[in-house]
Amino acid sequence: MTAGTTQPLKPLSLKKDGDGLRIEWNDGTTTFAPFRALRKSCPCASCTEDVGKPIDPFRVLSAQEAAAGAPVPVGMKPVGFYAYQITWNDGHDTGIYPLELLRSLGENVSPR
Amino acid sequence: MPGQKLELPGVKYIIAVASGKGGVGKSTVAANLALALHMHGQRVGLMDADIYGPSVPMMFGLGLVDQTKTPFPIEKFGLSLMSMGFLVDPNQAIIWRGPKVAQAVGSFLGQINWGELDFLIIDLPPGTGDAQLTLSQAAPLTGALIVTQPAEVSLIDARKGVRMFEEVRVPILGIIENMSYLVATDGSKHTPFGSGGGKKLASEIGVPFLGEIPIDQMVSTCGDSGEPIVRKYPEHAVSKAYTELAATMLREVPKLTAAGLPAVDLG
Repeated sequence: MTAGTTQPLKPLSLKKDGDGLRIEWNDGTTTFAPFRALRKSCPCASCTEDVGKPIDPFRVLSAQEAAAGAPVPVGMKPVGFYAYQITWNDGHDTGIYPLELLRSLGENVSPR
Repeated sequence: MPGQKLELPGVKYIIAVASGKGGVGKSTVAANLALALHMHGQRVGLMDADIYGPSVPMMFGLGLVDQTKTPFPIEKFGLSLMSMGFLVDPNQAIIWRGPKVAQAVGSFLGQINWGELDFLIIDLPPGTGDAQLTLSQAAPLTGALIVTQPAEVSLIDARKGVRMFEEVRVPILGIIENMSYLVATDGSKHTPFGSGGGKKLASEIGVPFLGEIPIDQMVSTCGDSGEPIVRKYPEHAVSKAYTELAATMLREVPKLTAAGLPAVDLG
């Protein structure tokens, strides 16, 4: 009843591993995506707009942003059947990461 | 709305009736399918997610109600109904930006006590915008039915609807071709919008073609008079097409498994 015949890409488990996210996929692959890379590639509208712009030297960080340090997710919830929404320790939470993006941001670390 | 995944534990299957194109008969299909499923002994709800242009009240002989005295959903012909048309005067335009639409759709799903249902049919507005995205993100959709006319101009947008559901990984149950043909009084069959479009789309995207529903003046007459054709004239050829569609749904929908995503272990 569903479109296509091949099994769509799906994570089987997602786990924090040091400073990144380890994901086991249904095709047998395991990927590791550093949190820094995930935060930098936030697909939300405001982060996407900021890409390519020069850094504003006068932007004042919020207290939460200043205290945050290295990016770490404090929450990560499924969105429908196709994505995860990450809440970061700097308070940013508008990025919805489709599964394909999570896959592409991770390095293949599958056990041989 | 994203992240606020709504739980509808009493509802077995949530089916979105969609099309990219407006005016192809989504609301008519949704209303008649809901009634046909009810006639098969199912407990059915019908949620009208077309916030700007709700059709459910007229099709069920209802209108604006006193919100302070009326419990929602409203019961009619054995169905549980919810629509923006119960809340806003039909002569008043709803001039809202997207986030308000998303909020209203979310409220209909999450704040209405739908109770125990076998099917909740959601009549979507045309397009691939806020209502569709909210439902895809927040509702545990079992699948989507795509309604199209045979004409290429309708197929162009239906393809976009299909693409959207594929992107958000909602299973497509199949394609229903509405307004496929009309039968003249002399028995001759005419296809004013062309023929074969629905089948073509279904085979193109690899989903089942669920059938053709003919054009018949009785369909709109019944809808406009507040009693959909399936209930008013159950022996009519159009009603039989819907009864068959409902039987197909009853057979195929339970085979779909919800592709829920695992929780994340953040330690």
